[in-house]
Amino acid sequence: MSKQYLTAHTVDQAHPADIFSLAPTPSTLISASGSSSLRIHDTTSPTYPLAQTISNAHKLGCHHLATASGPQTGNIFASVGFGGDAKIWHLNPDSKQYELQWEIPTVGDSGKGDVWAIALSADENFLACTTSDGRIHVWDLTAKEKIQTYETGGGRGAAGGGGSFAMAVDLSRDGRLTASGHENGGVYVFNNDAGRMVYSLSGLAKPVRAVAFSPGCKRLAAAGNAGIIALYDMEHGEHVGNLSAPGNRPSWITSLDWNDTGDYLLSGQLDGKVKVWDVARGACVATHSETDSALWCVRWLPPTERALGPGMGKGERFCAAGASRSLSFYREATGI
Amino acid sequence: MNEISSSSNANNYAGAVLDSQESSGASSADYDSVHVVSVVGNGALARIESLLEAMVDAIITGDKISVPYRSVRASRPGQLQGPPSGRQTGIVRFPGRTIQEAKKFDALFRIIELSHEALLSGSLITKRNIYYQNPELFGSQAVVDVMVNNLAFTLGVGRGDLNIASRHQWAVATAKGLISGPVILVNRDGSVIDCGLSHNTGILLPPISEIQSIGFHAAQWVLVIEKEATFRTLAAAQYAKTSRAGCGILITAKGFPDLATRRFLSVLHSMRPGLVIFGLADFDPDGVSIVQTYQNGSRRLEHENEATVPSLRWLGVRSNDLLSSGESPVFDDEEDQESQAATSLGSSHLLERSDHHRPAKRPKLSGFQNPSETVLSLTLRDRRKAADILRGICSIDQPSNDELDQTQELQRMLMLNIKAEIQAVDNYGDLSTWLDDKLCAGMDTGQ
Repeated sequence: MSKQYLTAHTVDQAHPADIFSLAPTPSTLISASGSSSLRIHDTTSPTYPLAQTISNAHKLGCHHLATASGPQTGNIFASVGFGGDAKIWHLNPDSKQYELQWEIPTVGDSGKGDVWAIALSADENFLACTTSDGRIHVWDLTAKEKIQTYETGGGRGAAGGGGSFAMAVDLSRDGRLTASGHENGGVYVFNNDAGRMVYSLSGLAKPVRAVAFSPGCKRLAAAGNAGIIALYDMEHGEHVGNLSAPGNRPSWITSLDWNDTGDYLLSGQLDGKVKVWDVARGACVATHSETDSALWCVRWLPPTERALGPGMGKGERFCAAGASRSLSFYREATGI
Repeated sequence: MNEISSSSNANNYAGAVLDSQESSGASSADYDSVHVVSVVGNGALARIESLLEAMVDAIITGDKISVPYRSVRASRPGQLQGPPSGRQTGIVRFPGRTIQEAKKFDALFRIIELSHEALLSGSLITKRNIYYQNPELFGSQAVVDVMVNNLAFTLGVGRGDLNIASRHQWAVATAKGLISGPVILVNRDGSVIDCGLSHNTGILLPPISEIQSIGFHAAQWVLVIEKEATFRTLAAAQYAKTSRAGCGILITAKGFPDLATRRFLSVLHSMRPGLVIFGLADFDPDGVSIVQTYQNGSRRLEHENEATVPSLRWLGVRSNDLLSSGESPVFDDEEDQESQAATSLGSSHLLERSDHHRPAKRPKLSGFQNPSETVLSLTLRDRRKAADILRGICSIDQPSNDELDQTQELQRMLMLNIKAEIQAVDNYGDLSTWLDDKLCAGMDTGQ
């Protein structure tokens, strides 16, 4: 049994460069690219019009965005530039526009940041940032201070580091766990209450480009150059299965996202394919390949309570973007 | 650069050679059939040795030792063409009539000796270095400069032929550029270098100031290659003559380009603007930096003019070259919907390829693939360097299309976290097919 998704809308040339990251809020989708601007698209209208453009957000281009998942979110989002600079933006409730709130201070005197992947907690108060030497810093955005540093390398304390480049990070919705994915194939899970590593999950062996906790915080999905999605149980830190397509050279997976119910996983690949996986059945239920250029990011849009407008339905929607510079919106085909 | 003439026919370059006869004193030869290949020293070594022999003879016979020494009257820079208009004929003797003459002989002898050593060892010595051998003897750097020029003039060779580099060239003293292809270089001293001989796998580029003229034959393109090994392989395969894109010229600066090579390219470009110049470098931050340097010069040497080729096209290696490949078939995964994922426990299954799935019925060629096994992960240094280059480009007000291209490639490099050498795109060591396609496509869009 497969699911049907239709191309609902395409925003052509949404950015003048590769689109590297997407982040949804309840009513918008934020996109970031190799150009310096961030764009915010209204997802409540069938034409997905531009709601705001933030110019000169990251001079060298932007590669990661993070919003919180869950209801009542979208007040804050974070972005990281190719210069390693991370910025926090907040929604001005009056103008309904995002404004710069704060910039994560850089380490040392060089003025160069070292932030790669980021994740924002469900309460929009904590931001996890990874570094090129394998650390994960957790910032308290209200107090504007660093409250935790997780080491994955040999070093400890201030002299730490030396770990493998942390390419991906996620925070569980309940705020209890942090997970990181690394260039050496390592996946680590940290308990935020205890402030220490709880699981070191081996198995992928190749660079891990995406890690994602299920909404119920029971599972962790990890994927990357191995081309398969590994699923881990968060109760005991066990590897409980893989999701993989046939073929002897599966494409690198660049992006992962759970839908709001935790039933489906969305994956984006370097070969341009976007796939929807039924996690319980362990099967791919839909594949789309509108483009043959690399996909850098795929994201579900949060579910809506009501039908949004003519032709938009109530079904689940997702968006894919990458080297084609376009935003492709898909919606579930209903009423068949 | 007006002294360099573009001449593709034999008469012209024979004429150029004859022009320089007077100063070189070379015996006339049949220039129509002989493509003189005398790269090292152009006989300077022999001339110096005969000078030394004459001195030894003089000592044995008890005669006064003498060195012929003519001085070029100070001429304006850039007016070195043809025989210098004024000269003083003379010799320097030892022991001379005055202390000055004895000192002069001493200094001259020291320079001859150093040049001789440099020629024998194949190394290069700078004028600055000569001065520091004995500052007291020479008195000042300017004295060395004048004497070196006069000595070269007297011997009828270029300064470079004495393996003496100008003192401003100290940072790039050793010429390192190589050239191969159906091109003929005529030096000021009359020597002719045919870069297209089949046994050549690269000829050391002479300094641009020593080149009188260049014969292009049918060359339509220039390929500047980062790596010497790649250059040598292509040169040995005579790629410059056998390419599907027509005849061309191969050049390498063996890594980061030196000023001499960049000057040479710049001159090539100004002589033949129709010649399409391509750059081939590794897919890594250094490769991008090298392409940038050819196009815009290096930041350290911003005062250097005429050493850039802004129109140089970045042929590769680019992210698309690594991601797309029509080589190996990829299975169509239309059957995904029925496929069951491996749900077994244990990591042993994780790396297992899905061989147990039924073979695909319709293998097809995919446009996009994973980078091959030849790619490497970026190091911390690579990532920092990439960010630094990005910073440099983004500080420009209006980046050119080339710079936007470079931005995109650097960003993708960082996203993919991979780098690859030129060899990553070859076919079991054979780069020619890939190059043919790229060059042909590049030539088409260039017209």
